Amino acid sequence: MTSISARRLGKELTEIKAEGCPVGINLVKADDFATWWFTIEVMGESLYQGEKYTLQFRFDSNYPISSPAVQFVVGDGKVSPVHPHVYSNGHICASILGNEWSPVLSVIAVCVTIQSMLASCKKKERPTDNDRYIRFAPDNPKKTRFHYDDDTV
Amino acid sequence: MSSREPLWFCHECHAEMRPLMVPDPVCASCQGSFVEKMENPADDPREFAHHGPGDFDAEGLPPGMDAFLFGLQALVDRGTAEGRTQPSRVGSGNGASGNRLTFQISGGSSQRPNIGGRSGSGTGSSGPVPTIFIRRDSDTPQGTSITGPLMAQYLMALLGQRDPLNDLVGRDLSDGRMGDYVFNQEALDQIITQLMENSNAHRPVPATEEIISNLPREVLEYGSPMLEKDCAVCKEQFKLETEDPDEQVVVTLPCKHPFHEPCILPWLKSSGTCPVCRHALIPQPEHQSPPAGGPSTNPDSARHSPDSSRSRSPRRDPDGHDATGILHSLFGGFVGGRGHTQAGGNGHNRSNSDPALRSSGRGTDSRNNVPGSWEDLD
Repeated sequence: MTSISARRLGKELTEIKAEGCPVGINLVKADDFATWWFTIEVMGESLYQGEKYTLQFRFDSNYPISSPAVQFVVGDGKVSPVHPHVYSNGHICASILGNEWSPVLSVIAVCVTIQSMLASCKKKERPTDNDRYIRFAPDNPKKTRFHYDDDTV
Repeated sequence: MSSREPLWFCHECHAEMRPLMVPDPVCASCQGSFVEKMENPADDPREFAHHGPGDFDAEGLPPGMDAFLFGLQALVDRGTAEGRTQPSRVGSGNGASGNRLTFQISGGSSQRPNIGGRSGSGTGSSGPVPTIFIRRDSDTPQGTSITGPLMAQYLMALLGQRDPLNDLVGRDLSDGRMGDYVFNQEALDQIITQLMENSNAHRPVPATEEIISNLPREVLEYGSPMLEKDCAVCKEQFKLETEDPDEQVVVTLPCKHPFHEPCILPWLKSSGTCPVCRHALIPQPEHQSPPAGGPSTNPDSARHSPDSSRSRSPRRDPDGHDATGILHSLFGGFVGGRGHTQAGGNGHNRSNSDPALRSSGRGTDSRNNVPGSWEDLD
């Protein structure tokens, strides 16, 4: 039971509940150590002003050795932000979710990174390969090997 | 031309029209798919239809061309005899009409060698074995060897425009795939998805057992300065009383970052780097791709975003371009380049097909590739 993942997530959750989330990030649900939801808003002036998105984390038993599967929740009135690195199915092309994941990162650290990714966006547009990608995208974004070719946004 | 968008030319019914574009361009008048955009005045497809490829002179076919065409015919016969029940026919009627493959060879008043191939819904033929099509003769030192039947099949595949090999092979290709070859957009997408999911090249390199076992270990004891520090993986402070005695073993990486042994070992087995500072215990692939370089120059592009790898598609252009390309290459090679380069070297040919075709025709390609193969996907 006290797997590394459960202990680590328990510790993160305790801290979130004790100290709260950073501004613009709110815990929606964390009923187990499998799936957590957060809402994300970009504070201050940005293209996403006044918009709120839901970010889903899925953990496997190897967390934090293996990265969480992170994506925006789509459906049921929720949409993914229009962003060059966010596909319309909610998948996110971000290196820290893939081969630059490190167990030092945490759920909150990922939230903050995604938040700042939105905040620095200069043009609301989908990835150029969006239509093609979502047709064959695996359910779990971790199964996609994204190519991180652009660190400007 | 007054119109803004160039018209398209249908090689099947010779109409100039604006094609129906979904899902692939087809002729608006005959629904044929052997259509070509007339965007390059230097390479007018009507020239191909009206005057033949290049400049055959008025006395008929170039010397030896008869023999070549008959040789080609024989190859096709051999190639098709393996898998097709329908025989090829010589000199019968219009090349593009009906279900029969026809090679019309005329030397008289009409100086145009008209090679038309179009097979309809092939009736009950089992088709060539797919492996023959993708075989590489690696033990042939003389570069690519495309056997006669193989070349014939390839040629026919390119000419059988509708669904190139579907007609030849029938149901076997209903998914549009044959080895690494794809024949429709969906199959290409599948291959790319596969590549994206399976590619290992940019994955972290795990540390070897030897590296791991040589890392310095320290068993915690009273008064150790380590007790002041945290393990960055589990975020817990090092402490003496633990359920798991392994957690009293601290591994310190060369960068001086300490971790519980059970925390760091699984990580090092997936990535030989320090979780804190990314210090590499073993050389790692670059995290960032080279900044510049188009898809054609970047051999990694196939596994990257689907968009960049799209340009490697064996069927990016309408097939007419490839078909004319291979014909020009064939004829060009045969008659010693007598003025055929103009049409053959048009800008439509994909960069990876044209050189391959050419060099394979001359037998100088050292890479042993079948035309259109993906050269650097190893």
